[in-house]
Amino acid sequence: MNNPLRLLAPALIPSWNFFDVIAPSPRVEYALSETATTAPAAWTEFRPRPARVSILTMLMRLFWNPRWNQSLFVTACAERLVDQPTAHSEDEIFRRLAVDLPDDAAGWLAFRLAFVSRQGETIEREVLFQAAPRRLETLR
Amino acid sequence: MITLTGAARLTELMLALALLQQSLEHLRGLRDERMLFAARIALCLLVLAGVARPWPLVGMAGLSLLILQRFQGPYNGGSDRMGLLVLWSLALAELMPSRPLQELFFGYLGAQLMLSYFVSGAVKVVNPDWRSGRALSDVFRFSAYPVSEGLRAWAQRPRVLLVMSWAVMAFELAFPLTLLWRPALIAGLVVAATFHLANACLFGLNRFFWTWLCAYPAILWLQGRVVGA
Repeated sequence: MNNPLRLLAPALIPSWNFFDVIAPSPRVEYALSETATTAPAAWTEFRPRPARVSILTMLMRLFWNPRWNQSLFVTACAERLVDQPTAHSEDEIFRRLAVDLPDDAAGWLAFRLAFVSRQGETIEREVLFQAAPRRLETLR
Repeated sequence: MITLTGAARLTELMLALALLQQSLEHLRGLRDERMLFAARIALCLLVLAGVARPWPLVGMAGLSLLILQRFQGPYNGGSDRMGLLVLWSLALAELMPSRPLQELFFGYLGAQLMLSYFVSGAVKVVNPDWRSGRALSDVFRFSAYPVSEGLRAWAQRPRVLLVMSWAVMAFELAFPLTLLWRPALIAGLVVAATFHLANACLFGLNRFFWTWLCAYPAILWLQGRVVGA
């Protein structure tokens, strides 16, 4: 775990290098299986985007946007897991996936991180991390 | 011209409102987050009421360390970092025993706001992908930010994105010049706020909009203090 003063330092002496390069972008995908050793039958994208969002909804989200901000935090944890893996990032993703699932969901939850990037003119997708499954009941 | 006391109080009020909005969102989060943000809500209300100044603000600065520890960094990247910069600059300014030190810490916030635009423009303009519009195309095409799949179609408009890229870079690089003349600074801040509003709508970055606005009184005060003097 990092010292909070070390975490504060980049805020007090900022680099301001927003979007200097467009890095590969993570997609979090999860799967439920009956046992820890069963290979997942299918992976589901965590909170896929809607096809459209109205301008009114966009403006209302200026004042109330918890779900999207939580999704951005999950994305940040996914980036951290690949750059500097920690149990904290993995735990955070597991817990937020778990609370998103229906109450009657059961079994073992796994997730993987697929990174999307552009190579030349082609969009490529590569799985860079897959978490070992955890029993769903222990995450709630 | 805005006074140091007036600008600091305005910043304090805007920051308390911005952090109150964020904290209310966190009450929808996981159980262990709620305690931290319930405490921050209480402190924000004390700041808004102007009670026991500057201690509620100092309490918020202390609490920010616990929040950083909880999430092992900022919850929402750059926007939370700007919130921390505003909070700590303001808290330190208010704790300082002498006027020059108060001006130093509050002026630091104004200077960092200027740098936030200028450096962002500088790091983009040296990147060929930004100069060609391709980087902005990538943002729409595959980044995690567009709020809908429909917005990804913007990646297919290279000419529009080229113009948008250069407009953003030119504005960011030119921003320090607005400090030379107050009406130019006010116009620059209106343009910048519009830029943040667009980012909030298209990419869901509502926290950026509110936290960057919180630093505007500091740069308005700094411009008057340095150029107006």
